[in-house]
Formats: sequence, C-alpha cells, structure tokens
Amino acid sequence: MEMMNELLEKYFRGETSLIEEKELKQYFSTANVAPEHEIYRSLFEVFELELKETAISPVIIDLSKKSKIRRIWVPAFALTGIAAILILLLWVQIPASTENYAVIRGNRIDNTEYVQQYTVKKLNKVNRILARSMEPMKSFNNVRKNIEPLQNLLDRRKINDEQNKLQFK
Amino acid sequence: MSDVRYSTFLRHYKCMESTQFNTQILNHSDKLFRLAKSILRNADAAQDAVQELIMKLWEKRSILDEVENIQAFTMRSMRNLCLDTIRKNRDEDELPVEFEYVEPNPYQQTEQKDLASKIRSMIDNLPELQRTIIRMRDVEEMDISEIAYITLLTENAVSVNLSRARQKIRDQILNEQKKVEETVWK
Repeated sequence: MEMMNELLEKYFRGETSLIEEKELKQYFSTANVAPEHEIYRSLFEVFELELKETAISPVIIDLSKKSKIRRIWVPAFALTGIAAILILLLWVQIPASTENYAVIRGNRIDNTEYVQQYTVKKLNKVNRILARSMEPMKSFNNVRKNIEPLQNLLDRRKINDEQNKLQFK
Repeated sequence: MSDVRYSTFLRHYKCMESTQFNTQILNHSDKLFRLAKSILRNADAAQDAVQELIMKLWEKRSILDEVENIQAFTMRSMRNLCLDTIRKNRDEDELPVEFEYVEPNPYQQTEQKDLASKIRSMIDNLPELQRTIIRMRDVEEMDISEIAYITLLTENAVSVNLSRARQKIRDQILNEQKKVEETVWK
C-alpha cells in the first residue's frame, strides 16, 4: 500500500519507468485497490480503453488493383505512341516527295544546275539526231521546188478553161 | 520466354515490396490513427490524415529502408501532417480546429456520468503537446527518447510536459471527486 502510494506520486511527477507504470496498470486492473486510490482507477482504465481503439476502416494499399490499372495503361500508351510516330512519319514524308530532284541512271541528283545542263545536252543530242534523220527529206523539198512552176501552169490552165466555159454560156 | 520470366519476377518483386510495406507501415496504422485522433480530436479527420500519410509513405518507400526506427519515423510524420492540417484550417477558416472542440454541454455531461469518459475529455482539453505526450506514454507505452524524437523536443522537455499533463489530470479528477462528494452531502 505504502509502496503503491509512493509509486503513484512518482507517476504524477512523471518520473516512473515503463516497468513501474505497467506495475501500476496491473495494480489498478485487480480488485484489491486501496479505497484512497480508487479515484485513479478510471484513469488507468481509460488508457487501456484507448489502446483498443482502431482505425475506422482498415487502411489498406491495394497494390494488385493499382498494377492492374497500370497493366491496361501501359499497352494503351505504347499503342498511342506507335500511332503518333506513324502519323509523324507520314507527315514528314509527304513534303519530302514534292521536293525537286532528278534521277539519272538510277542516281538521285539534287543539283538543279547540273540537271539543267544535262538536259540541254541531251536535248541537243536529240536535235542533232532528228536533223540527221531529216536529211533525206531535203531532196523532197528540191523536187517540190522544181514542180512548183509546173503546178502553177496547170492551175492557170484550169482557170482559163473555166473562164472559157463561162464565156460560152 | 525470358520476357515472360522477367515480368513474373517483377510481379513477385512488387508483391514482396507491398507486403514488406504493409508489415512496416500498416501494422502501425491503428497507432497512427490514435495519434491523429488525439491531435485533431475528430475521428473522420484522423482517418483521412492516416490515409494521406500512408499514400505519401508509399510514394517515398525507398527512403524507409534507411530509417532505423520506422514506428518513431511514421509517428513523427503523422504528427507533422496533423499539425499542418490544423495550421491550414486556421489559415482558411480563421476558426482553428483546436478551438472547434467544445466542452460537453450539461446535457452531454449528464450522459458522461462515468468518470472514464470525463477523463477522456479532460485529456482532450489539454494543450496539443501535453495530450500527445501523455497518450504516447500512457496509452502507447513509448520510451521518453522515442517521444522526444517524435515531438522534436529534448527528453527533459518531454518529461516536464508529461508530469504537467498528469498533474493537471490528477487535479481535475480530485475536483470531480469533490463535486461528487458535495452533491452527495447536499
């Protein structure tokens, strides 16, 4: 009794150890509490009571749920990414095809000056070939020139005939 | 084939990580809840605070491996979060949560006929530091050094606050006793 009195005083001074405090709790949980200590019984009961208090709803981090969501989202993001890249590639390629370039013997040439010179050279060559192949036609021309006076004669004669016909009528 | 094996390994690893987290933190959730409720004096707000803290700790779980005393670390984080909440409410509403707590009206007082519930409200009426310290010591049975770490005080300051809190409660219990005796004599 005397010892418990001392222990209680020590408790209220805040000097008791955890072991001594357990001793006090033990003492107040039994039926043989001295009448003068009875008023403190509720205090130690409150401590025991509060210790039994638990969080209202169990606090659980549901990781399986989270990872499931992630498992759906990851392919979705990947697909979106692939689609975006494809669109981007197409977008970049279309203007590329409208660029000016020439293909010479299977090689792509971007130098326009070179291409122009090359084209002029080729056209000249075509011209020369055409000129050469037209050479035989010159003789046709000669024949036509020589026939021309004769043709004129014939035409004049036709006109005279018609004039004569009209005079007779 | 190796990809499949890697993904199953990852899933296992994540599982392990979460179970480890659960044992490290969630085992303390009741303790965290009691602390939050003691500071905020509101069970719903305490529940929200615990949930918020656990989510924050989950995001920073890599740090937890370096923490020596996880219980003390989480309790300290919990108290800081609760004090932040009180501060925020004070800024927003001007009416601090600390002051929202009203003493039970006479009707409620008659309801609280048992001394136990009276003592609980006596503890709730103590300043935050004192009620936190008395509960950490007498309910949670924590070492003074641990309480000092959580409250950012010296061990001596914790002891002083603890004795003040206990003394106040003792005085109030004695006053209550006197009142009861007076009414009996009347």
